[in-house]
Amino acid sequence: MQAHEEGQLMRVSAIINGKPRVFHVEPRMHLADALREVVGLTGTKVGCEQGVCGSCTILIDGAPMRSCLTLAVQAEGCSIETVESHSQGEKLNTLQDSFRRHHALQCGFCTAGMLATARSILAENPAPSRDEVREVMSGNLCRCTGYENVIDAITDPAVVEAARRGEV
Amino acid sequence: MMKHEVAALKKKSIGTSVLRREDTRLLTGRGRYIADLVLPGMLHAVALRSPFAHARILSVDVADAQALQGVEIVWCGPDVAELSQGIVSTMQVEGFQTTVQPVLANGIARFVGEMVAVVVASSRAIAEDAAQLIQVEYEELPAVTDVEAALAGEITANDTLSGNVVSRFSRAHDDLEPIFASSAGTVRGSFACGRVSACPIETRGAVAEYEWTTQQLVLWTATQMPGFVRTMISMFCSIPEHLIEVRVPDVGGGFGQKAHLHPEELLICLLSRELGLPVRWIEDRQENFLGATHAKQQRNEMALAYDEQGRFLALENHSITDGGAYNNLPWSQLVESHVGNAVILGVYKVPAVREESVAVATNKSPIGAYRGVGFTAGQIARETLIDRAARQLGLSPFEIRRRNVVKPEDFPFTNRLGQTHREGTYLQTIDLLEEMVNPKVFRQRQAEAWARGKYLGLGISVFNEVTGTGTRTMSFLGTPATTHDTATVRIDPTGKVTVTTSLASSGQGHETTLAQVAADALGVPVSDVVIQSGSTKHTYGFGAFASRGAVIGAGSIGRAASIVRERVKQLAGHLLEASSEDIVIEDGRVHVTGVPAKGMPFTEVVGAAYFAEAAHPPGFDAALEATAAYDPSDLILANGGHAAIVEIDAGTYAVKVTDFFAVEDCGTMINPMIVEGQIRGGIAQAIGQTLLEEVIYDDLGQLVTTTFMDYLIPTTLDVPDIQIRHLETPSPLVPGGVKGMGESAMISAPAAVVAAVNDALAHLGVVIETVPITPERIFRSIQERSVQ
Repeated sequence: MQAHEEGQLMRVSAIINGKPRVFHVEPRMHLADALREVVGLTGTKVGCEQGVCGSCTILIDGAPMRSCLTLAVQAEGCSIETVESHSQGEKLNTLQDSFRRHHALQCGFCTAGMLATARSILAENPAPSRDEVREVMSGNLCRCTGYENVIDAITDPAVVEAARRGEV
Repeated sequence: MMKHEVAALKKKSIGTSVLRREDTRLLTGRGRYIADLVLPGMLHAVALRSPFAHARILSVDVADAQALQGVEIVWCGPDVAELSQGIVSTMQVEGFQTTVQPVLANGIARFVGEMVAVVVASSRAIAEDAAQLIQVEYEELPAVTDVEAALAGEITANDTLSGNVVSRFSRAHDDLEPIFASSAGTVRGSFACGRVSACPIETRGAVAEYEWTTQQLVLWTATQMPGFVRTMISMFCSIPEHLIEVRVPDVGGGFGQKAHLHPEELLICLLSRELGLPVRWIEDRQENFLGATHAKQQRNEMALAYDEQGRFLALENHSITDGGAYNNLPWSQLVESHVGNAVILGVYKVPAVREESVAVATNKSPIGAYRGVGFTAGQIARETLIDRAARQLGLSPFEIRRRNVVKPEDFPFTNRLGQTHREGTYLQTIDLLEEMVNPKVFRQRQAEAWARGKYLGLGISVFNEVTGTGTRTMSFLGTPATTHDTATVRIDPTGKVTVTTSLASSGQGHETTLAQVAADALGVPVSDVVIQSGSTKHTYGFGAFASRGAVIGAGSIGRAASIVRERVKQLAGHLLEASSEDIVIEDGRVHVTGVPAKGMPFTEVVGAAYFAEAAHPPGFDAALEATAAYDPSDLILANGGHAAIVEIDAGTYAVKVTDFFAVEDCGTMINPMIVEGQIRGGIAQAIGQTLLEEVIYDDLGQLVTTTFMDYLIPTTLDVPDIQIRHLETPSPLVPGGVKGMGESAMISAPAAVVAAVNDALAHLGVVIETVPITPERIFRSIQERSVQ
């Protein structure tokens, strides 16, 4: 346990998108801000900072979490995946490509959080029903699409296939 | 006028669902939104806002805040008043009261959330720390918290005005009394809509960088109207316009909210100039509820008289808007009732009309533009009353509408309010919608469900919509203004095409669809075209609002492209020894019409235009870059309809939208996939406004909804799968026959939901005329009815 004085930076070491990283933050900074402003990964978005909109959803040790309700210092020793890790080389992965083919995004602000939750569903169940997808995605708000195309994208056969191979 | 010109183009890419080129960056975390921007030395601005609806500011003590480590500057009202009087909002409408919204409240605060002071510091957290150290002494004043109080006039919401009536206007005042007295049937309703927020998932934000060595200012802002913002910054901050550039990054949703000039935009420009460093303002969710505009709060006392066949004889509507403390810029408080009443007859023929629209000032955040603007409220009222009339006559909701719409043989038809319908599919929409719904089967389900304690309801809404909004539409709506929108098209030396537009996208897909238009205008593949937007360095326009992007884009890009296309044809004609009128460009080849063999690759002709002077015909203007303005010569009316089916639980009063049907006619669709995305998104927002969302001020003028816990927007569980069918009636006034549709669903889908709830409860003798329709409202309506 490190002792801490106000204004003092604390050292955090975590694995981010597969790479061990060390960064320094004040305890009052949440993880979303740390990823965006300290680590420099702005793909994680901030829509409410109250844990409701889900735009900041990332995977921590494989589980979807609200990075706005996680202190950056709580990332110590964790493995974090942000939206920046999903593409393979310079190609969209199957889920991202499905989002594009189904027009599951407009302004794109909710997309990172959508992809994180979708990934966690598909990791548990490669072929969820539309109802199951609607249920699990209900914690991610989107103001543009009306959601249907998001459900289409997640239940696309190519995504199911990729999820079965463990590749989303 | 040249700006009315409709460029010819051959549709090829237009009409196809090209996948969006913006998606790749938006799916990989590589989108660049306003909050992602980083500049060297960037400082952070945070506002302290009024906790009272109406209060005199007796003193502001900023000494402790100023002394906090990391704080660069603290300003309150008088500091800013020296530099800018604020936002002047006016309208060329008789009797309209101009307002001036100060950047920071100066001596008096007129709504909860109005900025009283601003802190700039090395981080946003430290700026918030400092803001909490500011001591403000207020003397509370009585506040105007609703339209009744505003009209009573005992308290003045904004002491710079004379009374609270900002505008009172009437276009038609036929004598309806004899008609209502003698008509076979009359339906009346007192309709009310609560305030809502556009609630984009990305809040508002801006970053300003003033450079004293060049006296140039760059303002990055999440706006739908960059050209407009640049001119207004120049006017209200007294900075020469040519030294200002406005840049627009990717924008995380706008829906009208980002189509206003925000006081914060002025403020950070002034702060950056003062400090000589970049200043960043990124609001949080609570500030979006407190300080941005709200919308849709109108009351409509409407009555409809009809004969025994269900033909409408007269319509009366008294509409009043709760306008907030100031006029927003540029739409003003006229954005609701005033423009709403201009189209109150919609698609129907009504011979006698009496209407009045009133806007009143209240001590709330200014009312503003949100998708569908003031058209939604009247649509809700009218369509609900039409369904009610149909029930009273034993007609289906489809049939009564068939008997009243402007029919195919009627076009062109000018209605009592001066709107001329030239082309559209009103009647066909009704038929198609009926086919989609299959009402016979639904009525059976409805009757059977009562036994299970489920009230099912079907609601219908048929609409038309002004699109491609320009000078003519603004004049028709009674808010006269001349619009200006240019595009630049450059054919690059290698035959690629660079298009510059002042339209700013906030998710609606311009980057893809405008490329489709330009590609067809020049006869080249869409992949050879790039759309440049988001900088005021080139082209000038009003931006994206009022379902105008596709139309204004097609018109302006079409005109600019036709200028350079003519030059290519002129050169090709010279080289091919043919008249330039006989030259066509298609599939990347330039050839004589009907003789593809007698041709050259597009790239070769373009190369010659740039670099082979010997090939040029006499008097040839070799510039392959042109700019042109476009403004439609008349209204461009799109149309369509929505049908909603809802299920209300008789025990818990929970409402579920189980089915949604949409028919859309936006003329030629540029990209059907994107059009459907627009419809689905608008329907989701419609479900939100009618069943879930309400920004609430209490009796003291306190804002009691400032988080997503209190303000509920629809989720995956609130919006059903949606069935969509398309009709296409091309507009002769726009290249390709394109019409607009971005707002369509937020104009019409809310009415379908409200009508559906009223249909579900009709057998109980219950009506609900207020949105949102919450379980509490349903419970009360049913209770009050049982008591009677």
